[in-house]
Amino acid sequence: MSNTYKTTVNAEHDFDISCDQLSQLDAVHTSQNSYHILEDNSSFKATVVSSDFAKKTYNIQVNSNNYEVVIKDEIDILIKEMGFTVGASKQLNNLISPMPGLIIDVQVTAGQEVKEGDTLVILSAMKMENSFISPTDGVIKAVHVVKDDAVDKGQLLVEFEEEK
Amino acid sequence: MKTIKKILIANRGEIAIRVIRTAKKMGIKTVAIYATVDRNAPHVRYADEAVCVGNAPSSESYLRGGKIIEVAQKLKVDAIHPGYGFLSENSAFAKAVTQAQMIFIGPEAHAIEIMGSKLAAKEAVKAYDIPMVPGIDEAITDVEKAKAIAAKIGYPILIKASAGGGGKGMRVVEKDSELASQMSTAISEATAAFGDGSVFIEKYVASPRHIEIQVMADNHGNVIHLFERECSIQRRHQKVVEEAPSVVLTPQLREEMGQAAIKVAKACNYRGAGTVEFLLDDQLNFYFLEMNTRLQVEHPVTELISGTDLVELQIRVARGEQLSIAQEDLSIKGHALELRVYAEDPLNDFLPSVGNLSTYILPEGPGIRVDNGFEQGMDIPIYYDPMLSKLIVYAPTREEAIELLSKAIDDYKIEGVQTTLPFGKFVCEHDAFRSGNFDTHFVKNYYSPEALKEGFKEEARIAALIALKQHIKEQHILRLPTV
Amino acid sequence: MDANIKTLNKKIELAHLGGGQKRIDKQHEKKKLTARERIHYLLDDGSFEEIGILVTHRTTDFGMEKEIYYGDGVVTGYGTVNGRLIYLFAQDFTVFGGALSETHAEKICKIMDLAMKTRAPLIGLNDSGGARIQEGVRSLGGYADIFYRNVQASGVIPQISAIMGPCAGGAVYSPAMTDFTMMVKNTSYMFVTGPNVVKTVTNEEVTSEELGGASTHSSKSGVAHITSSNDAQCLEDLKSLLSYLPQNNTETPKNLPFILKDEVRDQLATIIPDSANKPYDMHEVITGIIDEDSFYEIHKEYAENIIVGFARLGGRSVGIVANQPMFLAGVLDVNSSKKAARFTRFCDCFNIPLLVLVDVPGFLPGTDQEWNGIITNGAKLLYALSEATVPRVTVITRKAYGGAYDVMNSKHIGADLNYAWPSAEIAVMGAKGASEIIFRKEISAADNPEQKLLEKESEYAEKFANPYRAAQRGFIDEVIMPQDTRRKLIKAFSMLENKKVELPKKKHGNIPL
Repeated sequence: MSNTYKTTVNAEHDFDISCDQLSQLDAVHTSQNSYHILEDNSSFKATVVSSDFAKKTYNIQVNSNNYEVVIKDEIDILIKEMGFTVGASKQLNNLISPMPGLIIDVQVTAGQEVKEGDTLVILSAMKMENSFISPTDGVIKAVHVVKDDAVDKGQLLVEFEEEK
Repeated sequence: MKTIKKILIANRGEIAIRVIRTAKKMGIKTVAIYATVDRNAPHVRYADEAVCVGNAPSSESYLRGGKIIEVAQKLKVDAIHPGYGFLSENSAFAKAVTQAQMIFIGPEAHAIEIMGSKLAAKEAVKAYDIPMVPGIDEAITDVEKAKAIAAKIGYPILIKASAGGGGKGMRVVEKDSELASQMSTAISEATAAFGDGSVFIEKYVASPRHIEIQVMADNHGNVIHLFERECSIQRRHQKVVEEAPSVVLTPQLREEMGQAAIKVAKACNYRGAGTVEFLLDDQLNFYFLEMNTRLQVEHPVTELISGTDLVELQIRVARGEQLSIAQEDLSIKGHALELRVYAEDPLNDFLPSVGNLSTYILPEGPGIRVDNGFEQGMDIPIYYDPMLSKLIVYAPTREEAIELLSKAIDDYKIEGVQTTLPFGKFVCEHDAFRSGNFDTHFVKNYYSPEALKEGFKEEARIAALIALKQHIKEQHILRLPTV
Repeated sequence: MDANIKTLNKKIELAHLGGGQKRIDKQHEKKKLTARERIHYLLDDGSFEEIGILVTHRTTDFGMEKEIYYGDGVVTGYGTVNGRLIYLFAQDFTVFGGALSETHAEKICKIMDLAMKTRAPLIGLNDSGGARIQEGVRSLGGYADIFYRNVQASGVIPQISAIMGPCAGGAVYSPAMTDFTMMVKNTSYMFVTGPNVVKTVTNEEVTSEELGGASTHSSKSGVAHITSSNDAQCLEDLKSLLSYLPQNNTETPKNLPFILKDEVRDQLATIIPDSANKPYDMHEVITGIIDEDSFYEIHKEYAENIIVGFARLGGRSVGIVANQPMFLAGVLDVNSSKKAARFTRFCDCFNIPLLVLVDVPGFLPGTDQEWNGIITNGAKLLYALSEATVPRVTVITRKAYGGAYDVMNSKHIGADLNYAWPSAEIAVMGAKGASEIIFRKEISAADNPEQKLLEKESEYAEKFANPYRAAQRGFIDEVIMPQDTRRKLIKAFSMLENKKVELPKKKHGNIPL
């Protein structure tokens, strides 16, 4: 069991919490899954909405806002420090369109080597241009769209070669 | 007096639903139009009849005036309500509807035309002694001439592109020495954006508040005003929070502005619902900006404080009825606030947030009204304005209204897209708004994504602590192999 | 009692440090996790029960009694992976380089015995320099004890070896006899004799990586079934592999919950090119048939002309064997036959139904193949499939020529259901070859022999290069629409769920090894 944990809330805020800090938290049960917390004299209500022990992911409602908390223990932190990338499925970083729209520019071709951050495709939706950048260094296996294509949400735009 | 037994609503989303709601109340049948992608939209299901008018892009559907009139004639529609946006301020469409022997629920085509051009509007209104922002009405290119005019108006001045808006070609000039360079920049920007480099000059109103007056006119020469709306909380020149009445108007000022608005309406023989927009400076001087010849997005706040149904009045007036309410019958009761709930990310420059409304639960309760156009499970279509709904509250006092709006925002559960709800909360809690001491620079002066994020940070930390607490509790539970 | 507890805690603390913090840091520097870290990552939180944490070695030769470590270089015990009971040992490189001693081997054997008693999978995380020389023959005996148990357990419980560091000399035989060997890129290697000895004996200069690294064993020798980019990924891959397998040979793998819809896959209709000589990627066909994202390929870089791996069909775990037309036209040869044969036998051991996708033009000709025993090796696949009593379903997508048609799970060797696509060509050989033989006289007598050959070729193709002759005889049960393949297969495997077939009683057959 770790002594310190790293938590990430809503994929935005990171907090390092030690077991000591946790023991200092002034929280009392108001029901099976709810707490009343006093922190710096301010009052908070929190409820554990859902928990996934295996994935160390919890949904907590604080006052009236929902927060998703992902917990990492010492091993997870060590793995990150050692630079290991881990993918649960064997699929790679394919570029999937997050929204429906119109392709206004395609900047890569099959076989091209790209670096993390390179622009791959530009999509127009809701009167705004979205540039999709490469999530990783790699080689493009195939480009599945051309300029002026209309795409759906979830459509495969660019496929990456599997890492050898 | 004409009869209206069936109305076609040439619009979509929440405003279509709003109009249909009043039509149903009045026992009038309704026809909805929709683009292919809106087949399952709530407004289509709410109307008595519905017709597909084309493909998703507005130009291929909701903007097809000819097709809409064709549909209306086929279904023996008596009147067409254009809503706001789309064809509502298209004078050609208004004319075509009338020529097709149907009633256009709105003003005559020529009133739309006049008020449609800022310059033509100012021209029409000149004779009526309405205060306007000092400036010149013709486009100029000569720097020396500009300097002379600027000197006459008094700095600071605003250079504005004649051909368009959205902040392009707009430049504030504080002093004489900057005029030449700012003007050439404005001209080149305007040329690039609109293909037309004409600019005109007017006085720059510092700390301006955007106050608009709701007017209603019938065919019998009666014009009333239904008080003001304060619309100064804007971002990218689009309103986000509106309220009625305005904190800063005195009864006398209100009456002055009301009368000015009525004059503006009379200046173009207006009929129906309209809104006259003014700028108010820190000395409480008001200046005419423009008139919007349609029902506006934020009309509900006026309805709540005046106890009226503006859509109903529109329909009655269109039928040729005389206004049953006189100016002296109207009074302000209570306070109303509206938050436009857009599918936009306030943490990312309010850019549209596309997605699916995996959770969409409306707040309910006394004093809470949601003019809504979406349902849980719907995708946000990319082709149209990303407004999900209007969250409107009504309470006896402004303080209570702000509290009610704050609570309603908490109860409004939306997941799947980012929305302006957190921004609304930010506004409710900000001193400048609460005190009433704000202007159209509110967002620029006080809002930043970091400010919003900070607010969440404390709660996020509590969430992390509780999650960890839960995790450690669960670690201690004895688990046996399941298989 | 307090003092006693204190003593115990001290010992446990020492045990947890293995060979000491300095060696732990060195392990990390080499981009490797320690044994305990690997176990923590692999197993469900809090599920690990360690057995034998205080075991120490008994050697007194060479002053060894002065260096004692609790645990003796291996962490053994049981825990759960996604709720399922498994047994494991993880060698601790920080203690004597993970070298195996008598007591180290005893710990491993104890775990293997427990795994056999309770019939649950056994996992080995190998990270060891080899035998502990100071132990002499006792370490050799230790290895043998392990080998013997590997064999007793073979086919009873799934055994998976992850090579996460060195594994040399005799040690390699244990993983070799387990069901799957996984290797980590750049930090693991396996060989019987290391580069140093190789240099002195054969004068070859070769690095550890070249001789027996992950890439070598995944593509050249086929010793490694899976390679992973790092320790953590290897453990994730291991968890994933386990999800397709049952606990032991009396159970079937657990189905994942799945909500069936229409299951029509239109993309399957456009994969086969119009020209019979153009290749296509069989992976696309596989993807078009199975549950989304469910393919777990084994031996991806070895004998690429055949594809084997696990997948799910409507939540049900299946084993797939498929020719790959994109590589060597999908012919069968020595290596692909061996690859597919062992996979088939594994599935048969553990009640995993088999799906065979066929597009095979025959066996690879040539002296290289003949002199390397394509005869006996090709027979391995034929034998393995014929012997398998798990449900077996075949889908012929295009070619199925000659002996290879027989071998690839044809009806005659006991397949339960045989489907063919309309594009299937079931024949003795390709149209060209057949025409050349059958119409030899006619062709040589013709004015334009080439023209005649083409003529006869298309005649033959029309008559024979299709699935209908076979369908007429019932060798094919149904010619199906490609888009419906998934529907058919989900129904087929559901129907075959309770298949019970027994082989004639024998000690074991004599597969041509």
